[in-house]
Amino acid sequence: MSTVPAGASAPAGSSVPLRESRNARRALAFLLLTALFAWLVPGDDEIARSLLALLGFGEGWAGSWLARLLMAAPIAAFLVVNGALLRLFPRRVQIGIVWAELLFVFLAFFYSFDLSFGFIFDRLPILVFTGAFTTVYISLISIFCASILALIGALARLSRSAVAYGLSTFYISFFRGTPLLLQVYLIYLGLPQLGVVLDPVPSGVIALSLCYGAYMAEIFRAGIQSIPKGQTEAGRALGLTEGQIMRKIILPQALRLIVPPTGNQFIAMLKDSSLVSILGVWELMFLARTQGRAEFKYFEMLITAALIYWFLSFLFEMIQARIEHRFGKSDRR
Amino acid sequence: MQRLFGAAVLAAMTAFAVGSVQAGEVLDRVKSTGVLRVATDPAYPPQSSQKPDGTFEGFDIDVATELAKRLGAKVEFVTPAWEIITAGRWGGRWDVSVGSMTPTKERAEVLDFPAIYYYTPASFVVHKDAKYTKVEDLNGKVIGTCGACTYEFYLKHNLTIDAEGVPPFEYKVTPGEIRTYETDTNVFDDLRLGDGVRLDAGISALPTIKGAIDAGYPLKVLGDPVFYEPLAVAIDKGDPEFAAEIKRIVDEMHADGTLKKFSLKWYGVDLTTAQ
Repeated sequence: MSTVPAGASAPAGSSVPLRESRNARRALAFLLLTALFAWLVPGDDEIARSLLALLGFGEGWAGSWLARLLMAAPIAAFLVVNGALLRLFPRRVQIGIVWAELLFVFLAFFYSFDLSFGFIFDRLPILVFTGAFTTVYISLISIFCASILALIGALARLSRSAVAYGLSTFYISFFRGTPLLLQVYLIYLGLPQLGVVLDPVPSGVIALSLCYGAYMAEIFRAGIQSIPKGQTEAGRALGLTEGQIMRKIILPQALRLIVPPTGNQFIAMLKDSSLVSILGVWELMFLARTQGRAEFKYFEMLITAALIYWFLSFLFEMIQARIEHRFGKSDRR
Repeated sequence: MQRLFGAAVLAAMTAFAVGSVQAGEVLDRVKSTGVLRVATDPAYPPQSSQKPDGTFEGFDIDVATELAKRLGAKVEFVTPAWEIITAGRWGGRWDVSVGSMTPTKERAEVLDFPAIYYYTPASFVVHKDAKYTKVEDLNGKVIGTCGACTYEFYLKHNLTIDAEGVPPFEYKVTPGEIRTYETDTNVFDDLRLGDGVRLDAGISALPTIKGAIDAGYPLKVLGDPVFYEPLAVAIDKGDPEFAAEIKRIVDEMHADGTLKKFSLKWYGVDLTTAQ
């Protein structure tokens, strides 16, 4: 156990105060963690009972504060020692170990649900090839349409025309101010009242594009506004038209600031696209739900879908990092 | 100019406005395209569920397939959420719902119910360790069910079934609290956590409860069914020709024992007549 009193065995030397305070912090962490786990664990399960018996305490101690402490102290000690050992490694290795440990705990948690892996295996093809595929292509089309809407929205918002400004701010205000789920319903159920009967996929794409276009219009606007006014003035001095200035001077520079948050929006959309499942689009969430319900094996499918979504996000996070790297070139010395 | 534009938009909107379908329109479309599009919510085994290859199976699926066959068409399934099916005004996206729908008064305002094809018993379900012995023991308890469905209306003592030949029923339970879920199968997931952990009881279709118990859920049915609900084929409002054709075919399927055969196949009992 690492409950060494602070400073008791610290050797003399220049690093003494540092080491002393580190040990003190570890002791404190151990005490706090022990208290936390003692509060959380029941202390009257199988392990606690056998631990009590091993130390010669009777059945009467089960569930008592002593049993709780006996259960809590080893867990706390393990965590503190784990933290101390981690320090021996270089930073990159530390990060890797922390990830691996958390992933292990995470998977062990899922494993403890006693899942039917045969069921998951049978239904994995449809989840991936139909579900994840649909999710990705709907998100890709939507982010493309949303970018166009965002550019128009941002330019209109920055325009001198009162009508354009009014249209743009109204659009941004409405689509940022209402839930996406509601917008999906409105477009799917509302448009037929005007005689426009759209299929589920186009309806979903329109809803996602309009909603994300509104958010991204603000990103685009910020990007455009971040380019100093002097650039526009210089363009004018060269005799360029306003359109040329925007296309050839402002936008290329603004893109550097616009692209990274757009990647972020795309990753968010990947998951928000699950809302179009209510229209009966066979994307990942829809299939996870219906496949799970077929045999009342709900959890198997939800966990599988969660891992697929996570994997997709992870993939696109890496792509985003590469794009950011590319667009950030001019900032590096 | 602007006024002119406004008027044009209004005119266009009125011209395209779809209130209800034209008489005979759906039937004509089914006959001409040779496809009957059926809305199904594949969240309800053994009525409708999805197989790993994406196709469907269940009692409703068999009935819909047979219905299409007798209409001389090929069946095609679409899977909008239940609320979207019951909202009505389908706008020709699909032709018919064979989804074990109860013809309530509210739904009859937006949908037509040409034919009842079977009756399902509604029962209370509790955790298998629960001590309740009769349905009346559930007075004042926390009971879960689907939102805006017939079971919730029953719990609220507000159930009106707008159809002929409905067996009479009485309200035997007054819950202390009603918890509603997206569908009644979510209730089983909360109930399995233990007696009284989140719910004391649930109410659902007897075949659905039995399906969950067969799938290993630690549940049991409490007492006898509290009411029988007729379940109907639903179509969009305002097409009497299509309604008449569906009624003719479903009556035929009742008479020649086809429905009974499907019921025995999927439920193990004959649910095609009211008890």
